[in-house]
Amino acid sequence: MLRYVVNRVLLMIPTLIAISVIVFTIIQLPPGNYLESYIAELQAQGESVDPQKIAFLRQYYGLDKPLVEQYLRWAGGMLVGDFGYSFEYNLPVTQVVGDRMMLTILVSSFTILFTWAVAFPIGIYSATHQYSWGDYGLSLLGFLGIAIPNFMLALVMLYFANVIFGTSIGGLMGPEFIGKPWTWAKIVSILEHSWIPVVVIGVGGTAGMIRKMRANLLDELQKQYVVTARAKGLPPGKVLRKYPLRMALNFFISDIGSLLPSIISGAEITAVVLSLPTTGPMLLAALKSQDMYLAGSFLMFLAFMIVVGVLVSDLALMALDPRIRLQGGVAR
Amino acid sequence: MTRRFAWLALALASVFLSAGWAGAEEPPTLKADVEAGILPPMAQRLPRVPLVVDISRGDWTIGRYGGELRTLMAKDRDIRMFVVYGYSRLVGYDDKLNLVPDILERVENVDSRIFTFHLRPGHKWSDGQPFTTADFRYYWEDVANNPDLSPFGLPQVLRVRDRGPRFEVLSETAMRFTWDEPNPQFLPALAGPSPLFIYRPAHYLRQFHARYAGLDAANAKAKAAGSRNWAGFHQKKDEQFRFDNPDLPTLEPWINTTPVPSTRFVLVRNPYFHRVDRAGRQLPYIDRVIVSIADDKLIPAKAGAGDVDLQARYLRFDNYTFLKQNASRSQYRVLLWEKGIGSQVALYPNLNVEDPVWRALMRDVRFRRALSLGIDRHEVNEVVFFGLAKESANTVLQRSTLFRPEFRTAWTKFDLKAANALLDAIGLTKRDALGFRLLPDGRKMEIVVDTAGESTEETDVLELVRDSWRKLGIALFSRPSQREVFRKRVYSGKSMMTIWSGLNNGIPTPEMSPQELAPTQQEQLQWPMWGQYYENSHKGGEAPTLPEVQELVTIYDSWRTSTSTAEREKAWLRMLEIHAQQVYTIGIVTRALQPVLVSERLRNVPAEGIYSWDPGSYFGMYHPDTFWLEPREPR
Repeated sequence: MLRYVVNRVLLMIPTLIAISVIVFTIIQLPPGNYLESYIAELQAQGESVDPQKIAFLRQYYGLDKPLVEQYLRWAGGMLVGDFGYSFEYNLPVTQVVGDRMMLTILVSSFTILFTWAVAFPIGIYSATHQYSWGDYGLSLLGFLGIAIPNFMLALVMLYFANVIFGTSIGGLMGPEFIGKPWTWAKIVSILEHSWIPVVVIGVGGTAGMIRKMRANLLDELQKQYVVTARAKGLPPGKVLRKYPLRMALNFFISDIGSLLPSIISGAEITAVVLSLPTTGPMLLAALKSQDMYLAGSFLMFLAFMIVVGVLVSDLALMALDPRIRLQGGVAR
Repeated sequence: MTRRFAWLALALASVFLSAGWAGAEEPPTLKADVEAGILPPMAQRLPRVPLVVDISRGDWTIGRYGGELRTLMAKDRDIRMFVVYGYSRLVGYDDKLNLVPDILERVENVDSRIFTFHLRPGHKWSDGQPFTTADFRYYWEDVANNPDLSPFGLPQVLRVRDRGPRFEVLSETAMRFTWDEPNPQFLPALAGPSPLFIYRPAHYLRQFHARYAGLDAANAKAKAAGSRNWAGFHQKKDEQFRFDNPDLPTLEPWINTTPVPSTRFVLVRNPYFHRVDRAGRQLPYIDRVIVSIADDKLIPAKAGAGDVDLQARYLRFDNYTFLKQNASRSQYRVLLWEKGIGSQVALYPNLNVEDPVWRALMRDVRFRRALSLGIDRHEVNEVVFFGLAKESANTVLQRSTLFRPEFRTAWTKFDLKAANALLDAIGLTKRDALGFRLLPDGRKMEIVVDTAGESTEETDVLELVRDSWRKLGIALFSRPSQREVFRKRVYSGKSMMTIWSGLNNGIPTPEMSPQELAPTQQEQLQWPMWGQYYENSHKGGEAPTLPEVQELVTIYDSWRTSTSTAEREKAWLRMLEIHAQQVYTIGIVTRALQPVLVSERLRNVPAEGIYSWDPGSYFGMYHPDTFWLEPREPR
């Protein structure tokens, strides 16, 4: 067991190195670099640029160095916790991300809790009452939730909030709290404002989760052990909780791998539409303006979370499900 | 104007009024601080001779203090726009585009060679520290001439034939810059939207400078803050234009209080601002400016929902109908200002194109004229611009004193017969079965126009141009790309022709540099390599071969060494004339309009204006410090 874990952890190292090379290459693939897209953007607005200043920045940011050197500097820095420098903000990456990370984790955690709280009961109900009116109705809602893109829903809500109620939604806290230190009043304000994004972002996930829960549970419900348990006179609720539900939870555990990165990346496009101060829009903007260290470090962090998430879910599955533990053969 | 001119009128007017401001009322938000003794009273905060802003426009009124102005921007970096809008400059343009002293009390200018600046005695930075010639000396000695902070030497505009000025401090409020030869670019550079800052808040910046803080201490401080060395850290703290350091003292009407990154920036009034209205009350009228950050594509929608009091940036002409539709519900007006650019859309034949056959054609003036004659500008105007634009070559706008009707009409009349005759005269007489002309080497004449792929307006225009060029026997294809790719293709000569907007400065006065008209920069889409040649002081690029272009270079040089307005005007007119006759750029329509959204409560915003980066600084020229908000009516 221990050897397996050590093996897996060691395997993460070449994986992450490979990812870092790919990330860096992809960010560098579009022509030009940050300064060039910066100049181009200013000129599109009719502004002029001081060539002296650009020359200073090119030298200071090391953009005149060969790509390999730029890569090594970035990758080496990350090992000691230096994620590089954001050109766009003129700040170290860690300072740029700072507060936003916290808010993103908050919104994402709420969203996940919301997803679970809604999807679980509905999924179980749909499976146990298959082909009933309730099942059809909820499935219809579920399909709608999957089919409507989150950002579309956000736009529609923005429009109606404005036209009907005359208010503008969006943002994650009252304007008076933006950029202020954390206080109790600020937290309350965030809680008040966060339900709209949580619902909007959560709808798609909830719908997906309902479908998965229903399908997995249906598979189990038809198995013979369930029939046997029922025949032996076990109360239906207990049968459900004790056996098929637990089996059906495997998909949920293996989902953790993809859940971890989504906690910190947030729903980018939806966040842009709702003007949420989360990390999603920042990542998007960084990629657009070729702010390579900000974008690169961010993507690396996401990759790291995926790798860790997959490991955690594998370990958890092994612990939970003896079939996986015994079949795999690696555990010995 | 005379060879020697000084601006005294305003200063004199201020002296007569100076009795007035001792008793003027304090802005209500500052009253408590003044009474508590935290802030000195207004009379002591103002310079001894403040700048009196008195605008003679009919709808302009003296305002009330107070209120919050809301506006939207797309990026944190856009906070710099408040240095543009604030428009506090050593000298600045008034709304008639005259250069007048602003921060300076007066300027003495001898032959555009010797400039003597007089500061306003008692002028203070936004933190209350005195603003004196020491701040200029700090810039000159410790920034501009410091090899670590300025490794590439003095800024371009301070150099004439590669030699900088002599700088002398005459007193605490007077200083002099002396060049050996005239430098007419100097004052316009100080008045620009992104001006040349030749002063620094020395009392604040010394703590980051190796000379004052000591090399080791300064470097240690920089490292602790995550910068590589003291020079980088100093540079970061010293961003007067980026406006992202709330600790950096400023002379602008509003001070940014929010560090980046943020989604909401709050700017508050500068209690030491140097301008007053004619009643002697200190400006600005508006207490706070709130800048929220939203995605640029959502800004028109949010503006239409009434989330702003003043907005022009990120609104486009095609948003106009939507904005109008919501105007009464969200209580705002939508004004249409004229953009200050030469053409809304113009075609740029690349005279440096790689392909030798095409290059020879592009350099043939008959060919460029034929292309220009082959465009039905009237149709473009009616179809794409609802007839609101004006058919014109790419030249200065009618408002400019340098405008001549013949520059606008040269080679712009839709005349297929004349155009075909010109093409035949070049010898392009062979045609293929479909009637397309053939190049001398037998290829079909296909012009590919690169677009930056940002607006459908450009492709719509090209669609119409394609139809009329078809009648010249020339095929047109458009090739949308993306901004950086677009520029790269132009620079390397891969692109044959591009479509872009016209002259950046469509409302020049003779005092402004005509550098756009001569090859001076690589960015010039019609001759990138010739531009690069002069931009990099004859290293890289190619020297121009056409005699007319060489003449442009010579005239531009004569402008740069001119000493009188008459000489400068002559240079400008000759350059514009060459452009009109040589058709280096094919302008299609002009008079582009910019929607400006103004809350019904906001006063003193002119109903008609020019929305221009340089000169004008967008709103800057119209004194946003005198905009004021009507108090909300109780419901």
